[in-house]
Amino acid sequence: MTMRANVGLLLVLVGWPVAAAAAGVAIVGGTLHTLEDDAAREGMTLLVADGRIRAVGENLEIPPGYERIDAAGRVVTPGLIESYSQMGLMEISGEASTVDTHVAEFRLGPGFDVQYAINPASTLLPVNRRDGVTRAVVAPAAGNDPLSGWGAAIHLGDGPVLTHPRLAMFGSIGWQSAEFVGGSRSAVIQRLRWGFEEARSFRPDRYRSEHGDYTRQDMAALQALLASGAPIVLSVRRANEIAQAVALKRDFGLPLVVHGGAEAWKVAGLLAEQRVPVIIDPLDNLPEDYDQLGARLDNATILWRAGVPVMFTAGTSFNAGLLRQAAGNAVAEGLPWSVALAAVTRVPAEVFRLGGGAGTLTPGAAADLVVWTGDPLELSTWAERVMIGGAWVATESRQTRLLERYRQLDGDEPFGFR
Amino acid sequence: MNAPTTLLCSLAMVAGIAGAGSAGAGPAPAERGPYASTYEPRSTEPTMITGATILTGTGGRLENASVYLVGGRIAAVGAGLEAPDAQVVEAGGLWLTPGIIDVHSHLGNYPSPSLPATADGNEMTDPNTARVWAEHGVWPQDPQFPLALAGGVTTMQILPGSANLFGGRGVTLKNVPARTVQEMKFPGAPQSLKMACGENPKRVYGARNQSPSTRMGNVAGFRAAWIEAGAYRRKRAAAEADDDSDPPDRNLGLDTLAGVLDGEILVHNHCYRADEMAVMIDMAREFGYRIAAFHHAVESYKIADLLAAEGICSAMWADWWGFKLEAFDGINENVALVEQAGACAIVHSDSAHGIQRLNQEAAKALTAARRAGMTLNEAEAIRWITLNAARALGIDSETGSIEAGKAADLVLWDANPFSVYARVQQVYIDGYRYFDRADPGRQPVTDFDLHQTSRGSR
Repeated sequence: MTMRANVGLLLVLVGWPVAAAAAGVAIVGGTLHTLEDDAAREGMTLLVADGRIRAVGENLEIPPGYERIDAAGRVVTPGLIESYSQMGLMEISGEASTVDTHVAEFRLGPGFDVQYAINPASTLLPVNRRDGVTRAVVAPAAGNDPLSGWGAAIHLGDGPVLTHPRLAMFGSIGWQSAEFVGGSRSAVIQRLRWGFEEARSFRPDRYRSEHGDYTRQDMAALQALLASGAPIVLSVRRANEIAQAVALKRDFGLPLVVHGGAEAWKVAGLLAEQRVPVIIDPLDNLPEDYDQLGARLDNATILWRAGVPVMFTAGTSFNAGLLRQAAGNAVAEGLPWSVALAAVTRVPAEVFRLGGGAGTLTPGAAADLVVWTGDPLELSTWAERVMIGGAWVATESRQTRLLERYRQLDGDEPFGFR
Repeated sequence: MNAPTTLLCSLAMVAGIAGAGSAGAGPAPAERGPYASTYEPRSTEPTMITGATILTGTGGRLENASVYLVGGRIAAVGAGLEAPDAQVVEAGGLWLTPGIIDVHSHLGNYPSPSLPATADGNEMTDPNTARVWAEHGVWPQDPQFPLALAGGVTTMQILPGSANLFGGRGVTLKNVPARTVQEMKFPGAPQSLKMACGENPKRVYGARNQSPSTRMGNVAGFRAAWIEAGAYRRKRAAAEADDDSDPPDRNLGLDTLAGVLDGEILVHNHCYRADEMAVMIDMAREFGYRIAAFHHAVESYKIADLLAAEGICSAMWADWWGFKLEAFDGINENVALVEQAGACAIVHSDSAHGIQRLNQEAAKALTAARRAGMTLNEAEAIRWITLNAARALGIDSETGSIEAGKAADLVLWDANPFSVYARVQQVYIDGYRYFDRADPGRQPVTDFDLHQTSRGSR
C-alpha cells in the first residue's frame, strides 16, 4: 500500500473529505499568527505541502490539486506545545499499573529515561489534540532522587509519537526532594553539586559508589548531560532556591530551565540576567506550602517585564488544552496577548530545541497548526481543525464517542449498540 | 432620582463613601442549637447599582438595568429605577451576577498552606464518621477564603472528605472575614451529610484489610448504618411519645443519620459512576430519605433522565477526567446534557484553584455544549454556579438569584463573566461590599497573610 493510499484510507475512516488527501493545503483568509513576530496577519494565504509550511503571503496562487480551506472569521496559529507533562506515561493516574512516570523504589535517578514507556495509543493523546495541542514535553515525575531522569518530546499526530528522546534532564529542588536525601533542602543542593562535580571526571571503571551515592548508571547520565548541552529542567518554587538553581547553572555550565517557579517573580532580574527560561502554571497562586508562600497570579507578567522567556503548562496531562485558559488568564493579569501565545508555541520549541521551525508557521516549518473558531485564548472558542505534520488529524476521541452514545437517552437500541 | 448619568462617579469614589457609612456588626442573633450561626449582615446605606448587564440567575438577562439594595436585600431590579437618597454605583459596561456559590469546597478544612498541621478535612479512621462536623475543623484564617472572594464566591458548602462512606456533616458558609466559624455560618442553612460511594472508601479501608474493600462492602456498610439509624430514631420517637420508654443513649453519628431520615439534613453524595448513582437512589428509597445532589457526578449524562425524574442535582466539573477509573468516562458535555434533560445541573470546584474561577468552569461547560451543537446561553449557564447551587443547599429562597426580596449577594464583573479576560470588580454579601478591586483597603487579609514577607507584607 502506498503512503498516499494510507493517508486516504485514514481520512475516509475519520470522516474528512477525500479532497484532504490533496497535493497540499491552502488556508485562505482569517487572522494568522505565524509567531515569526507579534503581528496578526489578515487576509493571508498559507500553503502546506509535504508536511511543511511552503509559503505565507497575500494573494498567493494556489497550486492545482490543493485543498482550499476558507478561514474567514477564524484564527490560525501554530499547534500548542505543552512544556511539562506526563502524556503517554500514564492512563489513569490513580492506577499504578498504568503509570510509568517515575522510579520510586529502585536506585535509578538521573539515569532513568522515560522514552521506552511512552505509549502512542494512550487515550489522553486524542483528547489533547482535539483541543489543539500538537506537541508535548514528557517529563519524568519525582521518584527517589532530586534528579528524576531524562524526558522526551512527542508529537500528537498519528503513528510513532516520540520525536526527541533525551530531550532534557529533569529534577526538583524543594521540600519534596529534601525527603529523598534525609530531610533538608540544603542536602538537595549538596547532592546536586557533588554529583555534577564528580561527573566532570567520572570514569566508569574507576567509580565506586558508596551507600547513597549515585550509581554508575546515574553518573553516566550526569556526564552525558554535561557533554550534551541539553537543558536541565528543575522544578523549584521558592525564591532562594531558584537562586541556588541559577548558581548550579553558572558553576557547571548547565542550560537551566526553571519549572514551577511560583516565586520566580521575586528573582526575575537574576533569571533575566542569567537567561533562564521559566515554565509556569499561571493559575498557580495558592500559598499551598512553605515553598511558595509568594505565589501570585501576575507571576508571568513580572517575569516578562524583566525579560525572562516564559512558557506555560496546563498542569494536567489529561487536559493539556487548558493551556489556552492558562494563557488567557495570564493576559487578564497583564501579559501581552502575543507573549501569552508565544508561551505555548514558539518559546517552548526554541527552549527545548525542537528544531525545524516548530512552534511557528514560517516557510519550512513543520506544518503543525490549528484553525480556531476565534481567539484561541478565550473560553468560548474551540479548535475546528488540527493539522500535525501536514495532515489533518481526527478530532474524535473516546470522549466524543461517549457523547454520541449518550446524547439521546430515548430510543430502543441498547446503549451497547449505539 | 434624576437620570443616572447625572450621578456618574467612579467606583473607587463610591467605595469610599460606602466604607465610611458602614456600622459594625451588632450582637449575635439568637439562633437555636449548639454551634449556631452568629453571622449578622452589616448595616449598609441604600445603594443603586445602575447600567449593568444583569444575568439574574433565574435564566434572565437584563441590559442597562439597575438593582436597588436596601438593608442588605434586593429591593428592586429593572430599568428606570429611581431612589434619590441612594448611593450610586455606576456600572455601565459592567456585568452583574448573583454571588457565586460553590457546593463542594474544602476551604478551611484543607487550607493553604497544606501541612499535616492544617489537614482537617478527612477523618480517615472509620468508614462511618457521620459523627464529625466539617465546621469543627474550619480555620477561618485560611488565605484561600479571600482568594475565592476575589473570584466572586459569596457562599460555599464545606464538606468533609470522601475517604469514608459517611464523611460527616457539611456546613454552608458565607465568605466573610471572621474570627470564628460561627460568624461565617449561613443563618438557617440546613446542614448536610457527606456520603461517598465508589473507589475512595474501598481503597482506604481495603488497603487496611478492613471493610469496605469492595463496592459490595460499601453498600453493605451504608445499609447497616441506615438500619441502625432507623432503630435509633424509632426508640427516640417512642420515648418522646411515652414517658415510660427510655430514650436511646445519645449517639452523635446516629443523630446525623436520624437527621437525614427526619428530612432536616441534606444528603450530598460523592458518586462518579452512573450505575452506582442508581444503586444509591435505590438505597435512598429503601430507607426513606432523599438525595439532594450527587457530587463529582462525571457520569450523570448517562442517566440524566433518571436524575431529572428523581429531582436530584448533579454537581460536576467542567472537564476533569481520567485521574481514577471511575472518572475515566468524564466528558465536557456532561453539564449541558444534564441541563438539557431537565435535571438540576451545578458546576462545583472541589478545588482551591477552581473555586477562584467557577465562572470560567461554567464557561467551558457552555462552550462544550455549543461545540456539540446544543443551544444554551450565558443567562442559562450562570444558574450552574448560582441558583441551582443554592437549591441543592436548601438556601434558594434566600440567595442565588437577583430578585426582589433576596439577599443582596452580588458580583460586579468588568466584562462578560464567561470571558477568560473578565475580572471581578466588586463583591457584595448581604449588600455589604466585601471586595473591591479598585480599593486595596477593601480586600480582606487573613491573619496568616500578615507580614509574610514572601507574600508581600501587609
